[in-house]
Amino acid sequence: MPLLETHGLTKRFGGLVAVDGVDLSVEEGEIFAMIGPNGAGKTTMFNLIAGLYKPTSGTIRFKGKWVYPVQEYWRTYLPPLAGYYTIANSVRRALGAGPLPIGLRPHAVTALGIARTFQNIRLFSYMTALENVMVGEHVRMHAQVWDALLRSPYARKEERVVRERAMEWLRFVGLERYAEQYARNLPYGFQRRLEIARALATQPTLLMLDEPAAGFNPQEKAQLMDLIQEIRSRGITIFLIEHDMKVVMEVSERIVVLDYGEKIAEGPPQKVRTDPRVIEAYLGKSA
Amino acid sequence: MSEQPTGRRSRLAGLRRIPGRGILVFSRERKIPYLLLGIFLIIFPIVDPYTPHVDFVGDAGRWILLALGLNIVVGYAGLLDLGYAAFFAIGSYTFAILASPQFGIHISFWLLLFVSAFVAALFGILLGAPTLRLRGDYLAIVTLGFGEIVPRVIRNASKFTGGVNGIVGTDQPKIPAILGFHGFSFGLNPVPYYYLMLIIIVITILLIRNLRNSRLGRAWMAVREDEVAAAATGINTVTTKLLAFALGASFSGFAGSYYASKLFIVTPETFSFVVSVTVLLMVVLGGMGNIRGVIVGALLIYFIQAYLLVQLPGWIAAATQALNIGFLNNIDVAGYVQRSSILIFGVILVVIMLLRPQGLIPSSQRKVELELGTTEESVSDLRGSA
Repeated sequence: MPLLETHGLTKRFGGLVAVDGVDLSVEEGEIFAMIGPNGAGKTTMFNLIAGLYKPTSGTIRFKGKWVYPVQEYWRTYLPPLAGYYTIANSVRRALGAGPLPIGLRPHAVTALGIARTFQNIRLFSYMTALENVMVGEHVRMHAQVWDALLRSPYARKEERVVRERAMEWLRFVGLERYAEQYARNLPYGFQRRLEIARALATQPTLLMLDEPAAGFNPQEKAQLMDLIQEIRSRGITIFLIEHDMKVVMEVSERIVVLDYGEKIAEGPPQKVRTDPRVIEAYLGKSA
Repeated sequence: MSEQPTGRRSRLAGLRRIPGRGILVFSRERKIPYLLLGIFLIIFPIVDPYTPHVDFVGDAGRWILLALGLNIVVGYAGLLDLGYAAFFAIGSYTFAILASPQFGIHISFWLLLFVSAFVAALFGILLGAPTLRLRGDYLAIVTLGFGEIVPRVIRNASKFTGGVNGIVGTDQPKIPAILGFHGFSFGLNPVPYYYLMLIIIVITILLIRNLRNSRLGRAWMAVREDEVAAAATGINTVTTKLLAFALGASFSGFAGSYYASKLFIVTPETFSFVVSVTVLLMVVLGGMGNIRGVIVGALLIYFIQAYLLVQLPGWIAAATQALNIGFLNNIDVAGYVQRSSILIFGVILVVIMLLRPQGLIPSSQRKVELELGTTEESVSDLRGSA
């Protein structure tokens, strides 16, 4: 069973079809890349999987669990009216209709084990690097309101552990010296790494990187590729969008190509590279 | 590689934190002024037994409490709330209904302190729920509406709330007699109220500091900084925002029951829009997201409103009399000053905000934000686009 699986995933924005019936499967432990010209719908795919957008149609499954549409009542993952959805869905099933078009909310997707970074870096600018990573730990923490209010022994212990773990993630991406700096004040390359550290802190099974090498020089790109390999060696599956062909061809094991929202090719780098449809999408049809 | 963008760093040099700690920690030297302040506050009613003074300071405490509560919503979670007086009203009326001759119910003040905080928190969630998709200006408008609805409902539900006349004769806190110690009722004496307020404020500050440095506090700030990134990082933005509304409201529940019992009476007029704005003013002017700033802001605004503007006409009158210049005696300067006290208040506010746009004691985040600007976007904006 693939780790992540989409079927006929479609997203329309008014008249524009950003993603058009994409079938995708990411296997556990691989480095999977998604490429395509600008506006091909790559980032939209990420947003759909992460629960930030609601698909127009299609399905998403992760580790065999439904991300969209949700089939059963999961208290943790659904909004407060979850009970209502469960009843409505059983009625709909009895009538032969599909489940309600409701997906997991973004934090629930993260809790399932999908973490992501953003194309345009989205850090918490006025929190320190360490605090940013600690926010990533949030989803694995258990302190409740009363723990927070009273600073209970449990909360104190958890804070200590989480702070330690967050420091380790900073060390892992090489930013431990900048723990107390505001994210805003870090240089661009460090901000990208901090975003990766924050995503890793959620303890994901699948890490989705949206153009991690954008704006990097060759040396930084090489470091990034090492980092990606190292993350994978920790048992985390990697799904990345990248424009830089050198990075894509070198690091990824399987590639899917999107153009105008449609999947036009899939396979190992060597095969995709020579695919006529891919060449056409990138270079245009020769007259 | 390790180069910092130099221009920004130099401006931010003052914001460096103690290494190894994400939170501000008071060093030993800074503890002493706080210790002195604490001792002063404790002995104040003994040094100055003139009760109106004690009363004045005690009343300032109520505003501090309200400002600290609103600071959770506005300063930490970044949700602009223009209807905060509604929660204060709900707290006050919860107490008044359950401890007055209105229904003949007389529950202990000490219990009701928490009951009204709880009820206010429930209403905080009630207000929060429909506003979850909103942000910034739109959120402010809905909260404004809520702030108007609550006093109106209170005015018209006269069967429960006594309508325009309010509820008269609310109970006073009683210290029960234990171990040979004689119990007493607070009655009209402001001194026990003063100490009660002092205790409530100290506890509130401790609780809010704990919140600020907790899992929940970080979640609030993350939502304030970037809601979409917060959601993608695993923060349930719905419960996080609702908790901000609920906890923010609960502190006004404390203030409400304190206020109702001290004044013997609650009337709907006490919870007008002006109260909401005044509290917001205290938070913004003092420094959003900074506990000390908010306290200083509350004290300053209260001092200007309740002392300076009240005394000013008298001072002016005395001054003109002393100067005894012909035309000054004829034009009644003091009268002008008295009639334009709101104008003077406005001018003072404008001047303070121009001199210190980031607040009197800004939180470090706000300081940077004001210099470099910020952006916002909401999760529901994305998810709503089906």
